Amino acid sequence: MTFLQINNVSKSFGRVWAVRDFNLNIESGELVSFLGPSGCGKTTTLRMVAGFETPTSGVITINGDDITNKPPNQRNVGMVFQSYALFPNMTVAGNVGFGLKVAKKPPEEIKKRVDEMLELIHMSEYGDRYPHQLSGGQQQRVALARALALRPKVLLLDEPLSALDAKIRVSLRSEIRSIQQKLGITAIYVTHDQEEALSMSDRVVVMNMGEMEQVGTPFEIYNFPTTVFTANFVGTLNTADGEVVDPAKGVLAVDGVQFESASDMQNKKKGDKVRIAIRPERFNFVAQEKKANIVDCTIENINFLGSIVRIEVKVGKTNFIVDTFNNPFLDLPNIGDKDQITCSRKAVLVLED
Amino acid sequence: MKIKNIWAWIILMIGLIYFFLPLLATFEFSLKMIKDRYTFEAYRVAFTDPQFYQNFGYSFFWALLTIVFSLLLVVPTAYWVHWRMRKMRPWVEFVTLMPFVVPAVVLVFGMSRLYGGGLKVFGTPILVLTGTPILLIAGYVVLSLPYMFRAVDTGLRAIDVRTLTESALSLGAGWRVIITQVIFPNLRTAILSGVFLTFAIVMGEFTFASLLYWPAFGPYMEEIGAMRAYTPQALAVVSFLLTWGSIGLMQWIGRGSVQEVAAVH
Repeated sequence: MTFLQINNVSKSFGRVWAVRDFNLNIESGELVSFLGPSGCGKTTTLRMVAGFETPTSGVITINGDDITNKPPNQRNVGMVFQSYALFPNMTVAGNVGFGLKVAKKPPEEIKKRVDEMLELIHMSEYGDRYPHQLSGGQQQRVALARALALRPKVLLLDEPLSALDAKIRVSLRSEIRSIQQKLGITAIYVTHDQEEALSMSDRVVVMNMGEMEQVGTPFEIYNFPTTVFTANFVGTLNTADGEVVDPAKGVLAVDGVQFESASDMQNKKKGDKVRIAIRPERFNFVAQEKKANIVDCTIENINFLGSIVRIEVKVGKTNFIVDTFNNPFLDLPNIGDKDQITCSRKAVLVLED
Repeated sequence: MKIKNIWAWIILMIGLIYFFLPLLATFEFSLKMIKDRYTFEAYRVAFTDPQFYQNFGYSFFWALLTIVFSLLLVVPTAYWVHWRMRKMRPWVEFVTLMPFVVPAVVLVFGMSRLYGGGLKVFGTPILVLTGTPILLIAGYVVLSLPYMFRAVDTGLRAIDVRTLTESALSLGAGWRVIITQVIFPNLRTAILSGVFLTFAIVMGEFTFASLLYWPAFGPYMEEIGAMRAYTPQALAVVSFLLTWGSIGLMQWIGRGSVQEVAAVH
């Protein structure tokens, strides 16, 4: 059942539209990520759900209750900020219990809930410390506990891991996800980090210039991007301009080199210009595996990236990137070698504008 | 490098001599009330004068009122500027600097003219404030504005006002709770700095009190100076000590917060 509804929400700041016609239904217990570059409107949308911005038009409801114009302190929506926003004058326990104290809960209940929350974030022994005595990761965990202590209807996370170093980011994102799933809380997670969005979310909303580009599961977003922006923003991608040769059979040509695609091209006709996309890891060298599309190429460059080797090849006049898993026994080609690459029909995506 | 150091020391010494020598001379002079002996007689005379306590008390009272009204004006204004109207900050800062541009004597004449019956509606004077201490306190508030605003502004810049306010709002807090439990405690050091500076300014202020005919420590010192030789020097030294005491307290309180900030980074 839909728990949080964002219906036709738009927001303008003067003449600039930060968000346009945003529509999204979020199920109870779902974690949805808003993914996009800076200025795409993801944080503005989140702030409208939190009540810090008022939509220019549209309606936001939580569990059927219209909260569009409700003040933020009456929404029961928990929020975790990028800069932690812990109150420096209060201890960890004071921070976690702040909302409960404001809600005038009895002291015994506050203490019990604070203890529960600290246990949840594995920081039971840190209750008496002040924020400046904690590391960034610990501070963000306290901020999470503080937001959850009031048992909010929705949890909003605004780039909560951006200020942390890479290792802590990875461990904390699984911790946040597991806590969210354990409590079954509905959550919106704003990030510009695709890895974060793909690894944590039930669904991802890709945003660009105030509009939704695509909504889908991480699997759908990564494997079947429907727009050029999504395809380019999520993961590394080869894109090239092509021409439809045979729409019924899904045949396209890039610089005269033919590819077969499994994408639906019913609405295309012979000679139509299209943009195609192929993930680097979907290519293989023919020697390793033989598939539908076999094209001649020249090795242009080889980059060793640790777990993968990124090889740049030229097909006709177009350059493509081919990713292969690193293997100490891999027989890598040399720059300038003539070779053949292949990919399945499903790997060749025809993008919408 | 060494020559540079020597020059730095020489300049420092000149500065110290320029500053402390007159003060030492004043202090030395204040001890010479009894011929051929150094005594604290001038201080005894000053401290046994009931007028001293009365005027000191008045100034103390004016300082307290000024501090209260300055805080009520400056803290919410500076907070609102940081929270909602960041673009207005340079303008507000400009306004707070006006007391440095407009001399106190001009300000006091302007105020007493406007609020002494100069403001009329249909020929009837309105807002006649002369005869009440409102003008005096208002003048002191204006006079202390650059110091109080700057102190509070610095404190607000050191904390993330917007995010702290928003996080408190998302936790259900109202404005009263946000101001009293989140913002004020985190501005304590900054506010105390502003308070001590305001206190020091009001305790030694002469122009406003004198021209608006209100008893205060400044006019009292001037009056004593016109009549006696040694006591005013003793009072000048006391006045300096008071100012230094305030600044010292400010530094001492501020030290803790600096250490805390250092610990964070």
